[in-house]
Parts: sequence; structure tokens; C-alpha cells
Amino acid sequence: MKFNSDYLVPIGCEGIYEINTGKWRTKKPVLDREKCSRCGLCFLYCPVFSIEKRGKEYEITYDYCKGCGICARECPKGAIKMVPEEEI
Amino acid sequence: MNVMDKLASSEELVSPGISACVGCNVELSLRTVLRVLGPDTILAIPPGCMGGVGVVGWDKKSGCKIPVFFPLLDNTASMLAGIKLHYERVGRPVNVVAFAGDGATVDAGFQCLSGAAERGDRIIYICYDNEGYMNTGYQRSGSTTKGAWTSTTPVSGGGRGGKKQHKKDFPMIMAMHDIPYMATANPAFIPDMVKKVEKAMKVSEGLAYIHIYNPCITGWGIKAEESIETARIAVESNFAPLYEMENGRFRINRKPKNPVPVREFLKKCKKFSHLSEEEIAELQRITDEKWNRLKGLCAL
Amino acid sequence: MPKIEVMNGNKAAAVGAALSRPGIIAAYPITPQTPLVEYLTQFCADGIIDSTMSEVESELSAMSVLTGASLAGSRTFTATSSQGLSLMYEPYFRASTLRLPVVMAIANREMISPQTLWGGPQDALTVRDAGWLQIYVEDNQEILDMMIQAFRIAEDKRVLLPINICYDGFYLSHMAEKVVIPDQEEVDAFLPPYRPEHILLDPEKPMAVDPLTNGYLLTEYRYKHMQAQQNALTVIEEIDREFAERFGRSHGGLVEAYRCDDCDAIMVTMGSMTGAAREAVDAARDDGKKIGLLKIRTVRPFPKNKVFELLKGVKAFGVVDRNVSFGWNTGIVYQEIRASLYQNNTVIPSVPFVGGLGGEDLTMEHFLVAIDGIYHAAASGDYEPATQWLNKEV
Repeated sequence: MKFNSDYLVPIGCEGIYEINTGKWRTKKPVLDREKCSRCGLCFLYCPVFSIEKRGKEYEITYDYCKGCGICARECPKGAIKMVPEEEI
Repeated sequence: MNVMDKLASSEELVSPGISACVGCNVELSLRTVLRVLGPDTILAIPPGCMGGVGVVGWDKKSGCKIPVFFPLLDNTASMLAGIKLHYERVGRPVNVVAFAGDGATVDAGFQCLSGAAERGDRIIYICYDNEGYMNTGYQRSGSTTKGAWTSTTPVSGGGRGGKKQHKKDFPMIMAMHDIPYMATANPAFIPDMVKKVEKAMKVSEGLAYIHIYNPCITGWGIKAEESIETARIAVESNFAPLYEMENGRFRINRKPKNPVPVREFLKKCKKFSHLSEEEIAELQRITDEKWNRLKGLCAL
Repeated sequence: MPKIEVMNGNKAAAVGAALSRPGIIAAYPITPQTPLVEYLTQFCADGIIDSTMSEVESELSAMSVLTGASLAGSRTFTATSSQGLSLMYEPYFRASTLRLPVVMAIANREMISPQTLWGGPQDALTVRDAGWLQIYVEDNQEILDMMIQAFRIAEDKRVLLPINICYDGFYLSHMAEKVVIPDQEEVDAFLPPYRPEHILLDPEKPMAVDPLTNGYLLTEYRYKHMQAQQNALTVIEEIDREFAERFGRSHGGLVEAYRCDDCDAIMVTMGSMTGAAREAVDAARDDGKKIGLLKIRTVRPFPKNKVFELLKGVKAFGVVDRNVSFGWNTGIVYQEIRASLYQNNTVIPSVPFVGGLGGEDLTMEHFLVAIDGIYHAAASGDYEPATQWLNKEV
């Protein structure tokens, strides 16, 4: 038999399994920095930790953002808006 | 260090792309908890949502940067007990942690968890309570709220049905094992969750148990963006109170000044949309009764 | 200097396990194994051994604690019987498919229902296809020796499989015999520490253990697992020879043949019943019957080639089974033996005997009846004789 696995047992040791969840979203969050009070709630509540804290600022990244809209909903200043994802 | 800096400066230990539902607050809880636990952690994910979305991995790839494995549905706590005993023998401090759904905790896995709690095995057991076997299609569990629609307690065409029995008060059951630390947590209260995980990490005389209340947006019929809001109302209505027990002393962490009627929480979830006025009143009564019982315990 | 002590099978198992320095022991008491657990707990309390004992709340937990501890890198030991074995079936199957070299002593006990406590290998034989190695022993010295050998066999890099050492409940577990206890230093020289390389839960070497796995990979892992069982055929005999060199005692390896060199018919037995069977063979020989005795020691992996070599030339054979295989109307070992003969158009008259269930004695008289049955099959050339039951009225 030719083996696809070098191991005796089922172990996952050849890197991290990742799904490209950034491709899932139909709408994406956009941050208006002028309204932002830097409270950090969007950072705390993003389920994929797609919002990063850089110094005092918070920045939305989009590699894995699924477009759930929690950040927009929880923002106390309404600084995040969900806009339609562009057609590819 | 404030909680934002703490979390931002910790390494993300779960794969960045797992197939959890859009807006899943269990994913939020898992990532938060692991950032607090740190890389000296061994993680058990029994069959359930988090296993199903790829946290353990597929084929030859892992879903985490730390050691992670699937226990069986019924033996998470015991496998962890064995792992912890080994690391105690070799003198290495390692966090040995379960992140288990209510199915693996309250139902099939209860015996092993109860035994581990009684023996004082020094593991951290975190249960994400989404009130059902959500990964396999939203079947009822012993932790499902009375009246809720699930795929095994469905609602008939006439609008009658849902689960006949109320949920086990599992945080209280674990507290009554006299473990050193028991706490409830909620994804709408992240700083509180972080503090509780830190306390659990410091427990050295027995089992530390954290019960997170996770409204399941897909299984309960909640809008994705309302995921956190629904979790918050569960606390603000006293339906899923935030409290902890440390060495027998109970303390409520969040006492809403004007508790929201339970109806407001139920309104958020489609799985309760068929409830009659009597059934809603019954859930309010149960909530009030348990809240008073909890206050009584705190007064001891 | 090796000590000599009179002890029952449970104590022999406990002493053998203790000498092998297991790191974690988790066992739940069940008749007839209970004294074994008690001895181990006492050894720990007295500081005779350095193992960590977990007082688990059921057998499910016992095997779970051990699979966890073994994944973390500890040498592990437990023991159980019938109902406990079936209760732990979920993690039991997994211990072998994760290739964890757990050693488990089984004090064989009949399965409920009817309500029963007494000896018989039904429990372990019923789970023979869960991937563990299984060796069935005949006396208390063998129990002690095999505990030590078991760790060597299980942890051998060519094998890396969990192993059951099975001994008859009450017949061996509660019967006292003279036993030689080897020195700890000699055992240490024979049994190096366990260091897993193939699977580990350790933050210094992170990996996922048992991720969701596609079928084509599962197939490969099964293939390798089955290869390991075949390797065990060699390893078991190798370890038996090495043990004999160091400690002066051999227990036969895969099978044991008694008076088979010049026999024309063979009776097959397993376990403690073999003692009485040997007496019956001697009596029949005195009577002019050239009967031989084949004792099966290793059931998994099944030594089919050895069995074929020994049985191929006889006029007839019979297998005395202290167990049943419900769908076949015979015992289990009978079928395994018959399957071994399916080579080179070999068709030999054979008789399945079933007796000694639920702890009933298998006496010399039963074996003499069996021997008669075997010669009757030889004479009549009956290839499919009905199962003969050796029960109380015989």
C-alpha cells in the first residue's frame, strides 16, 4: 500500500487547518474613525478577533471577517456600518 | 493592564478560519478563553460544535497551535484527569482544559465530570451551554430550557410542543460538588469572563468549573448581529445570572437594578415563539425562584 | 535473590504490574478482580511503588483516565472483568486505534445475564476484534511473568498496541499457588521506561490528536494497525525467549503443544482448564489413545500458521470452549481454529465442545468424554458434527 500519511496514528502535525471564512460574507463592516471613541467593545465582541488593537486605535481586518454585524450592533457610537460586500 | 491590552497582546491559539456559524458567540468565548490560558495548555474538545468546525483539525492538520484532541462524548473529564496526573508526576505546570458543549457535560459526560470533581482532579472544565446538541442538528439536551423548540422536542402545527422539562441547574449542581471554584460566564461580559478564567487557572486544590451561557443563533433562531445582545438580556433578566462560588462562598457578579422581564429575552429567540402566556409566566416564575435561591445562598 | 511466596492470581497480577513501574493506575473494583485493585492501593499507600492511583468512579472512567495519561506519556495499567470490560468498551476500542500500549489484566468472568460472578473467558473473547492483543494464561506464575512481558510486548516499536493478560476468574484469581517474584533490578533491566514518539499531548511538541479523518487515511491507519498485530506474532515469541534467558521461565509463546509429536488426534483448550485436560490426555494415553493437547495462549493475533502446522496431520480434533459464539452455535475458539485450517484443501473432522460456562467445573471426566467424541468424529468421518455440551449431567 502506498501511504498518504507517514504516521501510525491519526495526528494533526502538519500545520494549521484554516478555512477562508473571509469569502463567506455578504456585507462588511466599515469603521468611521471620527465617530470612534476607542472603547474597544468591537474588539472584545468580534467572534473571529478580526478587529485588531494597534496602540490606542482599533482596526478592522478582513481576511477572516464573516460579516456577522456584531461590531456594528454593539458599537455605542454607531461608528461601524455594515455595507454590501463588493461583487468579485 | 486592561482587558483589551491583555487580550490584544496574547497569542491567538485557534486557527483563524474555523467554520463556526456567522456571529457564533461560542467561537468568541473559545478564542477569548484560550488567549487567557496561554500556550502551556492542553485542550480537550469533545464531539460537538467546536470539534465540528475544525478546532481539533482535519486529517493531518491541527486546528490549534497548542495540543488539542477529541475525547469521547462521555469521558472528557476523565481523560483530562489522566493527562493532569501525568503532568503532576513529572512536575510540569500545564493547564489541562476542557471546552465542552452541554451535551458532553450535562448529559453523556456527566458521570466522568462528577467523578473528577469529587476526586478533586485539578483540571479546568469550561462548558459552553447552547442548550442542545447543536452541531448535529439542534437536538434537545438536559440543559435545554422548558418549552423550547428543538429538533427532538418539536412544535406541532397547532403551536403546541417544545421541551416539557426545564433545564438542569448545572452550575449549581457543580457548585454542590464542593469544588474550589465554580463560575457562570457570558459572552456579553468579556472582562468578567477573563477574570474568571484567570481565577480558574490559579485553583490548585481541585476542579475549576466555568459554565458559559451561549445563545445559539442558528439553533435558537437569533439574528447574527443580535448574538451578544441576546446573551446580555439573558443576564439582565436574571434568567442566566452571572455568579461565582469560591470555596463554598457564593457571590453574584451582576445584580441588575431593574431586571428586564424574561419575556424580552424569549422574544429574541425563534425557538420560543410558540410559547403561550402561561408558559412565559412559568419561565418568569422559575427565573424569580432561582434568583431568590441564589440570593439566599449568597447571604449565608 | 528472587523471593518465593504463596499468592493468588490477583496478587500475582498486582505484584507483576507493580514491578513494571506503571506511572498511572486507574482501576475500578469488580468481582473477581477486586483484590488486585486493593493490593495495588496498598502497595501505593505503603510506598512500595511510586505509581499514581486514581480512584475512578467506573470502568468507563478507568480506561478514559488511562488513555489520557498514556497520551501524555505515562506507562499505564488497569484491570477489570466482564461487566466492567463491556462498560469501558468505548475507550477500550480507542486505546488500540490510538496505539496506546496500555496493559490491562482481565480476571475473566462470565457475562450477565443470567446474574453471574464466576469465571470464563466470554468477556474478553467477545471483544477480541477491538484491536488489543490478548494472551490467556494458565497459572499464577504465568500471570506475574506475563504482566512484565506485557509491557515489553505492548511498548515494542514494532507493535505499539495495548494488551490484555487474561486469567480465569476464581480458578486463578482466588486460588493460591507458589510463585517466584523476580528482583526489581532484574525487571528494570528487562523493561526500560516508556517514551512515546508516535503520539503525544505535550505543549512542548504540540499536535492535534485524533482530528476528523477522511476514510482513505483511516484505511491506512487500520492497515498499519493490522500489520502491528502480525508483527506481534514474532515479538511475543521473542520476548518469551528473552524472558526465559533472563529469568529462567518460558511459558510457550503463542501456543503450547503437549504430547503432539506422535498423536493422531488433538484436543484444544485454553486457560486454566488445561491442567485437568492434561491429566485426561495422560489417562487416555494410558488407555492406548494417541491423543495430543494443544493449548491456545495467544488469541490476538491469532497464531493461525502454528495451529495449521500442528493440526494438519491429525485424523480429528476437538475444541473445548468455555464460551459461546451465538450466531454459530459453537464456541469462539473453535471457529478461530477452523479458520486457521482453511489452507491447502485441508478438511479435518472436528468437534466443537462447549462447557464450563458460568463457572461450572470442567472435570477430567468432561475431558475424557470430549476425547471420546473426537475419536468418534475421526471414525465416522463427520466433518460437521453437532456441538457437544459438557454440562452437569455428564
